[in-house]
Amino acid sequence: MNERTPIILSVNGVDHEVSVAPRRLLSDALRDDLGLTGTHVGCEHGACGACTVLIDDRPARSCLTFAIQMEGHEITTIEAVARDGAFSPLQQAMHEEHGLQCGFCTPGVIMTFEAYLRDNPDPSEEDIREVLSGNLCRCTGYQNIVAAVKKAAAVLRESRS
Amino acid sequence: MSVSTEGPSQIGRPLPRREDRRLLMGAGRFLDDIAIPGALHATFVRSPHAHARIVSIDAAAAASMPGVVAVVAGRDVAQWTTTQRMAPPIEGLLPTEMTTLPIDKVRFQGDLVACVVASDRYLAEDAAERVEVEYEALGAVADTDAALAEGAPLVDESLPSNLLSHQSFSSGDVAARMRGAHAVVEASFSQHRQTHMPIETRGCAAVWDDGRQHLTFYIGNQTPHPLRTQLARRLSLSESQVTVICPDVGGGFGQKIALYREELTVAALARQLKRPVRWREDRMENLQAACHARQAECRTRAAVAADGRILGLELQIVDDFGAYCFYPGNYIARVVALILTGPYRITDYAYDIKAALTNKCGVGPMRAPMAMTSWVMDGTLDAIARQLGLDPLAVRRANMLQPADFPYTMATGEVLEDITPSQTLEAVVAAIDYESFRRRQVQARAKGRHLGLGLCSVVESTTYGSLFYKAAGIPGSGHEAAWVRIEPSGAVNASVGLMGTGQGYETSLAQAVAEGLGVETSGVRVQLGNTDVAPYGMGSRGARGATAGGGALYLCGRKAQDHVLRIAAHMLNLNSAEALRLADARVQRLIAGAWVDTAIGLADVARLAYLDPQALPDGVAPGLDFSLTYDPPPMTYSNSAHACEIDLDPETGRIAILRYVVAEDCGAVLNPIVVRGQQQGAIAMGLSGALLEHVFYDEAGQNLSGTLADYLVATACELPNFEILRMHTPNKRTPLGLKGMAEGGVMGAIGALTNAVNDALAPFGVSADRQPLAAPYIRGLLRGRIPMTRTTA
Repeated sequence: MNERTPIILSVNGVDHEVSVAPRRLLSDALRDDLGLTGTHVGCEHGACGACTVLIDDRPARSCLTFAIQMEGHEITTIEAVARDGAFSPLQQAMHEEHGLQCGFCTPGVIMTFEAYLRDNPDPSEEDIREVLSGNLCRCTGYQNIVAAVKKAAAVLRESRS
Repeated sequence: MSVSTEGPSQIGRPLPRREDRRLLMGAGRFLDDIAIPGALHATFVRSPHAHARIVSIDAAAAASMPGVVAVVAGRDVAQWTTTQRMAPPIEGLLPTEMTTLPIDKVRFQGDLVACVVASDRYLAEDAAERVEVEYEALGAVADTDAALAEGAPLVDESLPSNLLSHQSFSSGDVAARMRGAHAVVEASFSQHRQTHMPIETRGCAAVWDDGRQHLTFYIGNQTPHPLRTQLARRLSLSESQVTVICPDVGGGFGQKIALYREELTVAALARQLKRPVRWREDRMENLQAACHARQAECRTRAAVAADGRILGLELQIVDDFGAYCFYPGNYIARVVALILTGPYRITDYAYDIKAALTNKCGVGPMRAPMAMTSWVMDGTLDAIARQLGLDPLAVRRANMLQPADFPYTMATGEVLEDITPSQTLEAVVAAIDYESFRRRQVQARAKGRHLGLGLCSVVESTTYGSLFYKAAGIPGSGHEAAWVRIEPSGAVNASVGLMGTGQGYETSLAQAVAEGLGVETSGVRVQLGNTDVAPYGMGSRGARGATAGGGALYLCGRKAQDHVLRIAAHMLNLNSAEALRLADARVQRLIAGAWVDTAIGLADVARLAYLDPQALPDGVAPGLDFSLTYDPPPMTYSNSAHACEIDLDPETGRIAILRYVVAEDCGAVLNPIVVRGQQQGAIAMGLSGALLEHVFYDEAGQNLSGTLADYLVATACELPNFEILRMHTPNKRTPLGLKGMAEGGVMGAIGALTNAVNDALAPFGVSADRQPLAAPYIRGLLRGRIPMTRTTA
């Protein structure tokens, strides 16, 4: 159970050699082995969504994923969302719309919608709320997050047109 | 040249938050993000029983596992820590005392039994499963009826019964009002147990420096200095031997105030083992064993006139306080009782409040500890309307205090002033178009749709001054401390004893300093949460942040500005600083009614004060360091009115919130973006609690809500957008007119939603007197019921 296996974790475009026990969670490997502490762990049972990362560009719970399963997959975390220190349109909109308070759930929310907005450029409020229901936020009541996602979608549509 | 602008220039600006950058980039620093080389991991062995004697603990197998450093139990930790005694001088409250870990018996499922320390968390949890504990199960009391029954098992065997606290009060002649009333209306309110569920669970890390004999304690906590006082006392250390450092905190809501037993154990272990020890609780521990809140059974009896006016009111509360006292047992019920009558004219009033110990997790304050107040009061008004066949709005108007009534001394002696309850009520009634709703409601009912509209007015006790604490018999104070330091470059640093858990303090409190000092907010940095840096303040709880903390910082900024201008006057060869001000860090002079820039800025004054003190005026000491404490009035109040429109499906019991409007008067505000976020968040927490959240124990005291699949918290799909009408009547007694806010939204939401449900249920002749308003409960009320055609006369 505690014997370690060396694997390559490809995170944010960089390959890392880590040695993990089979039961080691991806969230723990990212945070404790790679020092990527932007991914937060809120419940460890897949309910709260704080630990959401992208696995091959799709949102996934890193607390329900074993690190050892991730060889050959590309993982993206919150640390890779801003480019050269500049916010992505979604991060910018979250800032402008006050879409975060304590900020603990925020990385999970951003990873969820960075992926979603790539495939769904013009979501309705109902769509946004449905997708957001996979991320619990205890501070905001969600209203400003919804507003931020709408704003980011508009900015992204503008930049693509 | 610039012309004078009246009023504040820095507060009230909708500045986006400066803390956002790190949080949005994944560069925040929460407790678990702090790397501590060599830190060991603690995990706790917890009781599976609600109530049991600890017969024996066999830790041999666990202790021999690889990576395990120590396994300790109650007797071990008792050698290293003192007990917690809760014995404030409050009549009718029994003193209690607890050891850091239980020694002889456990009192609730999830109670602490032992602590395992290992080289990593996985190994610690493996070992915890191998600690063998033999229990002798005892009878458990899982609710207050059982706890207060004759011959009930004692939760705390040092007490004569489970009745922890009992107080009563009477003003006027309520019995006479009952005898002379047109009718006596009785109503009951059962508030269910909830928990704070901060998205970041509790945790801490203790680093003991054996050479310096100093403890550095990292923890997400709302009240760093009072926590340090507790920690030092219980470790028998001096307060100068302990530093508490609070990093970014993933929500608190009242859960992160007390020094919990796990945290003290971790600190003691770091000192004993002479190695850093850290702890992160898992979500199940957080839901079952961190801190619970809210559970109370409540009844009112109102003597009323034919027009619905309340002539006299009686209140009874029985609080379910759980198994351990981290707070005085009367504290929460007392605040409810103290402010119950809120915006209404009720002169004859009596209350009887009890708190009972039960075999459940201990309770504490949760965002709006007095959350049920407005539900109970406005729910009583709705019960009066139902019984007398009156319109609920008419009953509110008949009882409500009018502008000319203020300042108004409530029956309990509390003084309300600078509040606007009739204005917020009328604003919200107009915004939701009450009359047209009633027409729509009738039309909808004809088509089998059951709409409901609930109103709830809130008078929120926000900032508690030291006089309130003294009068309540609670040790402690409501004052706050601040410092402002202008550095040699003119840069401004400031600190206060608050600690944020998401409130945007680094922005809004910088605005308060900037307003007082006369600089741009961008030039002020506020440092929080490190007890070596921050002054000793009372921290963040209630809604005191803006008034106590912001007020202290503003006044300290003013003090600094006065000093800077005294030096500036000397530099300008003026006899007095009277016609000078600091604005945007420039010294300006009033000449012929206009503010004119002088050649001097804050940086020039700072350079002189630090580097050329011989050039300072006589009697002025070098440097630019300022500090002060500020004690707010005994109590400040904000007020609001909430209106909630719902659609209730009688077939399924499902409630959909169609519209939510609130008018809130929270005085002057530091940052309207932050205030709006707090309003939304508070309403959301209230709705979530009233609709879904439920810490559920079975009759044997087993907690059945230990995961987020069982303890349901509202998602984006259950909550509406909130329409907020802003009002800003300043408080005349506080700096800048600040009042405080952020809890009233919970109070109003609980009441408005439940009142809306009862409005929708009215044709069926049933009403909801308990929460959560879950679909099965609503369905149960409706079973066998058919709607009547008319609801009110």
